[in-house]
Amino acid sequence: MLTTRTFRLQRALVFLLSTLSPFLLFAQARHTVSGTIRDQSSGETLIGASVAILNHPRSTVQSNSYGFYSLNAAAGKYTIVVSFAGFRNDTLEVSLDKDVIMGVSLSPADAQMQEVVVSANRNNANVTKPLMGVQKLSVNEIKDVPVIFGEKDILKTIQLLPGVQSGGDGSSGFYVRGGSVDQNLILLDEATVYNPTHLLGFFSTFNSDAIKDVTLYKGAIPAEYGGRLASVLDVRMDDGNVKDYGVSGGLGLISSRVNIQGPIEKDDGSFIVSARRTYADLFLKLSKDTNTNRSSLYFYDINAKANYKLGDKDHIFLSGYFGKDNLGLGNTFGLDYGNSTATFRWNHIFNSRLFSNTSLIYSKYNYNVSVNSGNNDIGINSFVRDYHFKEDLQYYLNSDNKINFGVEVIQHTTSPGAISATNSSSFNPLTLQQKYSLESAVYISHDLSLSDKINVNYGLRAGLFTVFGPGSFYTYDSSGNPIDTATYGSGQVVKNYFNLEPRFSMSYRLTDNSSIKFAYTRTTQNLHLLSNSTSSNPTDVWIPSSNNVKPEIADQVSTGYFRNVDNNAYEFSAEVYYRYMQNQIDYKNGAQLIANEYVESQLIYGIGRAYGLELFVKKKVGRLTGWVSYTLSRTERRFGEVNADSWYPANQDRTHDLSVVGIYKLNKKWTLSSDFVYYTGNAVTWPSGKYEVDGQVAFLYTKRNGYRMPPYNRLDLSATLQGKKTKKFDSNWNFSLYNAYGRENPYSISFEQDPGNPAKTQAVQYALFRWVPSVTYNFKF
Amino acid sequence: MNYHKLSLFCAALLVCSCKKTVTLNLNTAPAQIVIEGEVTSQPGPYTVTISQSVGFYTDNTFPPVSGASVIISDSTLGIADSLTETVSGTGIYATHSLQGIPGHIYTLSVTSQQQNYKATSTMPMPIPLDSISFSQLSGFGNNQISAVANFQDPPGVKNYYQFVEFVNGAQITKDIFVFEDRLSDGKYISNTLYNDTSYLFQGDEVKVNMYCIDENVYNYFYQLMQSGGTGAFNTTASPANPASNISNGSLGYFSAHTVSSQQRVVY
Repeated sequence: MLTTRTFRLQRALVFLLSTLSPFLLFAQARHTVSGTIRDQSSGETLIGASVAILNHPRSTVQSNSYGFYSLNAAAGKYTIVVSFAGFRNDTLEVSLDKDVIMGVSLSPADAQMQEVVVSANRNNANVTKPLMGVQKLSVNEIKDVPVIFGEKDILKTIQLLPGVQSGGDGSSGFYVRGGSVDQNLILLDEATVYNPTHLLGFFSTFNSDAIKDVTLYKGAIPAEYGGRLASVLDVRMDDGNVKDYGVSGGLGLISSRVNIQGPIEKDDGSFIVSARRTYADLFLKLSKDTNTNRSSLYFYDINAKANYKLGDKDHIFLSGYFGKDNLGLGNTFGLDYGNSTATFRWNHIFNSRLFSNTSLIYSKYNYNVSVNSGNNDIGINSFVRDYHFKEDLQYYLNSDNKINFGVEVIQHTTSPGAISATNSSSFNPLTLQQKYSLESAVYISHDLSLSDKINVNYGLRAGLFTVFGPGSFYTYDSSGNPIDTATYGSGQVVKNYFNLEPRFSMSYRLTDNSSIKFAYTRTTQNLHLLSNSTSSNPTDVWIPSSNNVKPEIADQVSTGYFRNVDNNAYEFSAEVYYRYMQNQIDYKNGAQLIANEYVESQLIYGIGRAYGLELFVKKKVGRLTGWVSYTLSRTERRFGEVNADSWYPANQDRTHDLSVVGIYKLNKKWTLSSDFVYYTGNAVTWPSGKYEVDGQVAFLYTKRNGYRMPPYNRLDLSATLQGKKTKKFDSNWNFSLYNAYGRENPYSISFEQDPGNPAKTQAVQYALFRWVPSVTYNFKF
Repeated sequence: MNYHKLSLFCAALLVCSCKKTVTLNLNTAPAQIVIEGEVTSQPGPYTVTISQSVGFYTDNTFPPVSGASVIISDSTLGIADSLTETVSGTGIYATHSLQGIPGHIYTLSVTSQQQNYKATSTMPMPIPLDSISFSQLSGFGNNQISAVANFQDPPGVKNYYQFVEFVNGAQITKDIFVFEDRLSDGKYISNTLYNDTSYLFQGDEVKVNMYCIDENVYNYFYQLMQSGGTGAFNTTASPANPASNISNGSLGYFSAHTVSSQQRVVY
């Protein structure tokens, strides 16, 4: 099944290649300089470094996810400038009388030098590139931003960017431009991470020690990505130092981590292994109560990667992630869950202009619950698993034309739940049908420079989602009772959904350092997360599109003004967006989502819309760096069954969302940083009255999400003390204080009988975090 | 599954769960009619209580609705019983001669203020409550005792149960206990009545009434339980009024159910 489809897609690829051949012909009198850009000290490849011919800004190209660049020009002698944030620029002479392969190594700029050197040719790609709604973060940039528990965390840092909202106090969950949490495609070395959080959302699965680069696409999503509506978070792991062995790590109050890396063969291959574990639950062991000291609450995760160069044209990478959360309450209750991913990649350089990457990817998320009470022993487990093939080709025709095309096939298996029970248990063993589907796509996009002023990126992604057997597929009547069952054999096609997703973006340069941009993106989504609680829940289940559940579709238009001032020292942007979403999913009141064979009968379908204005200003250089981000937005949903079929605010609808981040290098020893966050409270459903039923007080609800939580605000402080730095050893202490003025931000508000006065009811607010201090010691040798 | 217990336990470790009473600016919806009616397998009279909703911040006294016309019919036998208000002004209406019989279909008709409300409920076949036992959950400095209802679920049919717990003669009204055999068909069931708001102590006299209820009534109480969550993590994303089996927008329910009781001293 998979192979025939792959074969068909390969044929489509050949066809695509042949249509490109006219382009190949007229480029003869030109030559190409290509190669890989690396960090001189570690040999790590640099993603998104700029390469340009001196005094020809239009010639600028950026290195791809593997550090590869290719720059094409008419025969002649040129001066090439290579630059990357946080590194010293490099200037190289190249004589293009034939194709040239030229690797470039940049040396990191230290703090003082950065101010002098970087200003020479600061990156203004944010103004010139047509893509908009893109945010890039390097781990370097996030390391000084204060976070809760002192655990630097990319998911919590991106929440400080415009258009990205936090999932709640201390949460790693995030919403992008009105999308839901499950509408973000989160990739770790191209593998889908189905649950990006640990410990019920308070930590992210991403260990910053192992991460090289993070890119968030929220507006114009390139055609190579598909499968989710709202955003793509592309996280790339470090490759490991190809020059020297090194050990680094950190000791914190809640968790510790260690990272080992080094060459497999000097300059040709390297490895990195990074691991961490939390140990908050060790305190439980001190308890005399046996049920308490047998309880557990921890997670660990391991990132590992190895890469090896096979000659000049081939490079292979093997990377993996394994994480596990373990929560247990004595012998009575246990829950463990985690993601595992593995990615094998092969980079092949066909010639100086055609770069290929082939990936074989595995990804799995699963959970196990066990309950033992009396003679009631039951276990529940569930998983979602992907086998994924991706072939991506990048063709650098000339400095005005770059073509990116490829094919992607993912086989999904979801097991919504299996219950195991002993004979004496009150429950029957039950295994819900596993669901099988194949998500395939071909895509092509073209980066085109029409003139010095106009850059365009347009593309198309054609996706086919196939639901196949074995399995029984149900049809339901209007009240959700199954009325018909269709049974399919193994490999039989149940349903095909074909979707074309056009992607378009363009920039028009007004001046050297300002531009306006426009983008339109259609995205579709065929895997949907069923979640019914306000907090992140590891037992939420993914379901594929089916005969009942249709693919979610989103269309987004956005436009913006981008301007850099003071020689690119400050970046400013203003973007507006409008997104319309079809086939959105919600649940019937009192829906049974756990272990329900007829779970699709519990769903209702509607539409959504989101629009907003995002303002962003960032100071990139100097002793004081940081940014201010403000979002004014509205996010609404409409379901026939809710609020009499009228538009209502989604939970995550927040009118105002402001983040301010400042990092100040006081002197060689101390770096101080702070962030401030303010946002409008979520839309919530509160009672508008009460009544008595069965002797108890019940609350009367009139409108979904008709009320607002109080606004949220918080200030965090952090200070880093750099220890004595020697060639052999480097260390620092980080002190941070989350929620410095101790505001009790409501996490939830619940409605209860007043325990002091049975004649009254009251609203009780729960706040989670006030003044959370943390100390972390980081070292490197 | 009692998942929120675990969440609370995690929260207790990670964070200071600061709790305080707040005063919110809540609207008061116009008063709505609330009808609660039942027919049981035990001898009558059976009652229907009619009241109205009030604002959130007013006292827990709910104005009774008097002067309504209330009729319960046994559709299987084709007989009707016109209820009369027991004491004028209480909103409590009682039957005269009706006797609940398992398997029969009952309809309720209430007319008040020119509005008519109707409901239908089928009394399921009786299932006996075998015994009560007790389970203990200890940890974090307290030892929580809960009653466990033990009974045999008949195979091959959908069954829905409701439990009402009395401690030393007083009904526990803050918790709702319902159970369905969706995942337990034909099993011998030990269903723990997890008690979030009050605790049992050794020596307490515990009585449990087990009702066999129909699907609509089960859904009503299940949804009522879900919308009433309390605590930091236990709130549903979008609470709503439970779907009533009574027409015309009335709140409340009409339940024809069997009753089986057991009693035991906490050990």
